[in-house]
Amino acid sequence: MKSKTDEELVALILQNHRPALEELYDRYVKLVYSFSLKMAKGDSEKTKEIVQQVFLRLWTTKQTYNPSQGKFVNWLLTITRNIAIDIIRKEQKEHVNIQLDPQEWHQMQDQKTEGVPEQVSNNLLKQQIREAKQNLSESQQRLIHLLYWEGYTLSEIAEMERTPLGTIKNRLHQSLKKLRNYMSEELGGVVRHGK
Amino acid sequence: MENKCENLSLYIIDELSEHEKAQFEQHLKICIHCQKEVQSLKETWEMLSYDFEEQDVPASLKDDVMNFIFQEQETTIQPPDETAKKDGLKLFFTKQFSPLSAGIAAVLLMGVIGLLWSNLQLRDNMAALENKVESTTTTEIVRTFNLSGQNTAASASGNAYLVQEGSSTVLVIELNNMPSTENEEVYQVWLLKNGKRQSAGTLKPDLNGNGLITYRLPKNHSFDDIGITLEPNPNNTQPQGQKVMGTT
Repeated sequence: MKSKTDEELVALILQNHRPALEELYDRYVKLVYSFSLKMAKGDSEKTKEIVQQVFLRLWTTKQTYNPSQGKFVNWLLTITRNIAIDIIRKEQKEHVNIQLDPQEWHQMQDQKTEGVPEQVSNNLLKQQIREAKQNLSESQQRLIHLLYWEGYTLSEIAEMERTPLGTIKNRLHQSLKKLRNYMSEELGGVVRHGK
Repeated sequence: MENKCENLSLYIIDELSEHEKAQFEQHLKICIHCQKEVQSLKETWEMLSYDFEEQDVPASLKDDVMNFIFQEQETTIQPPDETAKKDGLKLFFTKQFSPLSAGIAAVLLMGVIGLLWSNLQLRDNMAALENKVESTTTTEIVRTFNLSGQNTAASASGNAYLVQEGSSTVLVIELNNMPSTENEEVYQVWLLKNGKRQSAGTLKPDLNGNGLITYRLPKNHSFDDIGITLEPNPNNTQPQGQKVMGTT
C-alpha cells in the first residue's frame, strides 16, 4: 500500500478495498484534520464530524479524482472545504444570522495568529500566502476570510458589509489578482502567471 | 462578452449556478482574456487552503472515522440480525439527524405518507370512474369542423365536433364572438345534406358572445356542412333569417 500513488489508491477504493482507504487516511489525515479544525474554529467535535464525512464521501460516493484537474491534495481540500461549509453553515442558519462588526473582526484575527506551535511541511507556501494577504486592504482581507474560511456566499457578505454585490464581486476579483501577482513574484515558478 | 468576463471570479470560487457555469464555460472557450486568467487565479484561490497550522491528530480519530464509515455500511447494507439492525438504525439516525432536523423529517414524512394515502384514494376513485365510463361508452372525436362568421356575425368563429359515444353520434358546436341576440331572436343550427336542411337546435350566446350547443344525431344520419342563421323566433323548420355562419 505504501508504495502506491494516490491515484492507484483511489482506483482501489473504487473496488471497495478498505486498506487503500486506510492508507489514504494515514497520508492525509493530518492535512484534512488541521484544515477542518481551522474551519470549525477549534471545535474538536465538529472537526471529527467533518473528517468522518470527508472519508465517508471518499469511500461511498466514489468521487473520481482526475489528475488533470490538479493535485490530489487540492482536490481533497476542496471536498473538505465543501463538507465543512455544509456542516458549519447548517448549524449557523439554525441560529440567528451573524453580523460582524469591525471589532469582532480584529478579535478573530488575533485568535488566528495566537501562538499555535508551528510544524508545517508546507511552511514556505503558508508563509507566502500570509505575506501576500498582508498586501490586501483590510476590507479585501475580510472578504477573503469570510468567503474562504467562513464559507459565506458573496451575497451574504454584501449584506453583512452593507455594500452592493457588484462592489463585492469586484473586490474579490481585485483581491485574487493582487494575491496572485504577489505570490508569482515571490515564488517565481510556483504560481504560473497568466500573461 | 464583457459581461461574462465579470463571472470569472465567481467561476473560480464555484459560486455560479449550474446554468451560469455552463454559460461561462462556453464563454471561456472563446475569450482569450479569461483563458489567460483562469488557471493562475484558480491556483491562487486553492493556495488559500495552505493558510492553516498543522495540528496533532488525536490517536483515536482513525477508529472513529473507520467505525463510522464501516458501521454505516453494515447497518445500511447487511444488518446481521433484527436487534442489531434496530440499534444500528438508531445509531444511524442519531448520527444523521439533530433533534430539530429529526422533527422536521418526521413532519415531512407524515406529510408524505398523508399525500401518498390521499393519492392512492384518488387513484382508486379515478380508476372506479374510468371503469364506469369504460363499461358504458368510450368517447371519441370522429370529425372536426371550422366555422366562420359572415354578414352581421363576421367576427364570430367556432368549432364543431362530431363525437362518437358508443353507438350514438353527438354534434358539439362551440361558438365565440357571437353578436348578442334581441328579443325572440335565436341562432339556429342547420345540417346540410344534398341541398336539404335539417334543424339541429337553437341557441342564444352568453354576454361574452360564447355559445355552445349539442345535438344527438338520429341513427344513420349524415351531413356535409353546417350552417347557422339568425332567426327572428325559435322553432322554425326552414330558415327564415340570414345565414351568419358556416363551415369553411
